[in-house]
Amino acid sequence: MPEEPYNPSPIGNPSVLARRSWWQTMLVKFIGKHTPKCREMVRILSQSMDEPMPLVMRIKKRLHFLICCWCQRYEEQLRYMRQTARQFAEHADESSDAPFSAEARERIKRKLAESAR
Amino acid sequence: MGSGMSATDLQRASSWVDDHGECLYRYALVRLRKPEVAEDLVQETFLAAVRGYERFGGRSSERSWLVGILKNKIVDYFRKRGRETSFTDMEFLSDEFSEKFASIGFWNHDLGPHEWKPEPDEVMHRTEFWQVLGDCLSKLPEKIRTVFTMREMDDVPSKEICAILAITDRNLWVMLHRARMALRECLEMNWFDTATGGTV
Repeated sequence: MPEEPYNPSPIGNPSVLARRSWWQTMLVKFIGKHTPKCREMVRILSQSMDEPMPLVMRIKKRLHFLICCWCQRYEEQLRYMRQTARQFAEHADESSDAPFSAEARERIKRKLAESAR
Repeated sequence: MGSGMSATDLQRASSWVDDHGECLYRYALVRLRKPEVAEDLVQETFLAAVRGYERFGGRSSERSWLVGILKNKIVDYFRKRGRETSFTDMEFLSDEFSEKFASIGFWNHDLGPHEWKPEPDEVMHRTEFWQVLGDCLSKLPEKIRTVFTMREMDDVPSKEICAILAITDRNLWVMLHRARMALRECLEMNWFDTATGGTV
């Protein structure tokens, strides 16, 4: 038998619930058994950025987060990436040194002048 | 277009090129990788901006208005290309993050996500953050990047992305998941865990 098959919570786990006592250990094992494993959870979290998560899964997610601060961080980070990605375009000039050539600049100005005629 | 444009209009349009041209160009370049294509789309953006100036009405900043036009141009560009190229990236669908998880499927705790600090609002003012984000995006395989940037930068609904690029829902989700996983990893390593970045 594999050792502690449903134990996602080693000593020092900073999650809300960890194996700090007998009953917490039982709870952690129970939640670990009845919610998706992290590998699957991150896939589900990603998908929930694109379409709504069913209610039952939302509840499972909440329970899972109690024993797994890593998945919880993962979800926060998906939002973090979305929020910053949306702002990226307006800061794109800070993102690289790629030169916008003087020729391109002049050519575009010429085109604008032509279109004005 | 023609006669409707006065000398003042033209002068204003030229000043856009000087003030925002570089930003638009670098954005287009991160998205498309090809300098010629990026320049063309920037040019189209300015021409469209001149034609649509009356509709602008100063509701947002000039830059975000121009960026909005460019984003539409980029989506149009991919719409044209989507019909010609297959956007399903099977190579990148292999499970390369398996080391992150213990065999039973839980996070390998030493390799799980770290805490990210500071908050997005604060990070927005850090030039280095945008550099790291740009570099990390450039490292994503092309098709994965295309899908991710359309979804997260242009805010195109997922159904629409599937239609534009002719891919299935399932493929879209897998590609987005891979992109997020890879980008998260890259940002953490090159920004959040570094001295320049947030945690220190």
